[in-house]
Amino acid sequence: MNLFRFFAYLSTGMTYLLIFIGGLVRVSGAGMGCPDWPKCFGRWIPPTNVGQLPDYIDPSKFNIVLAWIEYSNRLFGALVGVTITLTMVFMFKDYRNEIRIRNAVILAFLLTLVEGWLGAVLVKTVLNPVTITLHLLFALIIVMLLIYASQEAYHLENPHSEKKSDYPPYLGKVFAILAGVLLIEVILGTEIRGGLEMIRKENPVIESTFLLKMLGPFKYLHTILGILITFISGYLWFYLVKKPRFSSSLMIQTSSTILLLILVQIISGEILVFLKVIPLIQLFHLWIASWILGLVSIQYSLWKKSQVTNE
Amino acid sequence: MNKNIIFIIVLIFFLGLGASWVINKANSSHQLPTIKLVPEFAFINQDGDPFTEKRLLDKITVLDFMFTNCPGPCPMMTHNMAGLYNDFAGVSEVQFISVTVDPDNDSQETLKNYASLNGVNDQRWNFLFSGIDSIKKLKRDGFMLFADDLPRGHAIKFVLIDAGGNIRQYYDGTDKASMKILRKDITLLVKKMRT
Repeated sequence: MNLFRFFAYLSTGMTYLLIFIGGLVRVSGAGMGCPDWPKCFGRWIPPTNVGQLPDYIDPSKFNIVLAWIEYSNRLFGALVGVTITLTMVFMFKDYRNEIRIRNAVILAFLLTLVEGWLGAVLVKTVLNPVTITLHLLFALIIVMLLIYASQEAYHLENPHSEKKSDYPPYLGKVFAILAGVLLIEVILGTEIRGGLEMIRKENPVIESTFLLKMLGPFKYLHTILGILITFISGYLWFYLVKKPRFSSSLMIQTSSTILLLILVQIISGEILVFLKVIPLIQLFHLWIASWILGLVSIQYSLWKKSQVTNE
Repeated sequence: MNKNIIFIIVLIFFLGLGASWVINKANSSHQLPTIKLVPEFAFINQDGDPFTEKRLLDKITVLDFMFTNCPGPCPMMTHNMAGLYNDFAGVSEVQFISVTVDPDNDSQETLKNYASLNGVNDQRWNFLFSGIDSIKKLKRDGFMLFADDLPRGHAIKFVLIDAGGNIRQYYDGTDKASMKILRKDITLLVKKMRT
């Protein structure tokens, strides 16, 4: 494995961990843990007691636990930024003529810069809901781009990996629909989360079971789209794993894992909207969604590879 | 391959464990100090009724100092207070108090108009006035807020008072993020009161 692929995999893994930490910031209510940006309470290392606060910041905002949760997201985000930058450096060294890899990595790098800026906007706007959704959406796109670039580099080194596969040629549109529906599903999910917050703001001391009853049509729409995703993924599995005479083992593992994770999502999602809002389940529900997106990127890239190889 | 799966499962298990520790830690991290007891006072509200510190008991109170002609931060403060007043409409334990620091101009009539202008239609938000000296005394000694150059030099703080009449926390009444924290803290105190 060359340095580019090593760093591309590392960036992917770290971005996934960063999405997890970001979700943790959200579910633990630590989004405003640091009321300023990029420093935290005017310091590069968050203060340990109220006495260290600068006088332009309201002391009631100080909570050392929330500050560190939020700040660790920033610190780790910066580290991921450095790793993605290194990935880009090695891309220019070894793959600058591979347009698809080059574009994917450059776009991932630019979006990483946007993510940092969005972090600042989030703090400034006191967690504007649209910005929160964008912050997540860009993270998901970054991770998909990194996976795509890694996968393309893998194919360059293993040109015959999908040579024997005989996947049907007409699945491009199905992948496009699936990607679109998945992204809409994620946005709907964040709407449910935001909707809960709105209801909670207007009904401050409400019990969480009532809270769920007041949640509007979003939860049904989210469920319906979930069923649609299950069908599309099942369809893809059938034509990529079951039907072909030969499927690569990576394709079999990817496609089957997607179905398994969708099952996990359905169970955890129904628990969340119909039984009880449990922060830990919320966190994993979001995180697994990001895995599914990544796996679908791999699935698509494998299928695409087989089409190009067999031309 | 099996090794990888085991590694992933172990990793997820520890991530989940870590995350649930962090979530618990975050939930229990929020503590409101008990700062001091609000001293006795005897003021009058916008309806001309007497209003004393006794009315703080068995209620969660948010209190600020303002005046109706104030050009600076007060409109923002009143706007934020009105937001809380509306959001907590269904929570009878929560009340709001605005004390004028300009009793020369803020008569009972003026305060009453100001109240209805800001959508006040019940007993949950009281606008209080008194002689300037008792206001100064309450502000400085009772609430430990500066009171030298009234009405202009009034504080922009919202004060949270618990059901026992204790000051629990001060918030920047002009700041959106502080209002979010205040909302949470009020809810916390109400829930504590109900259990």
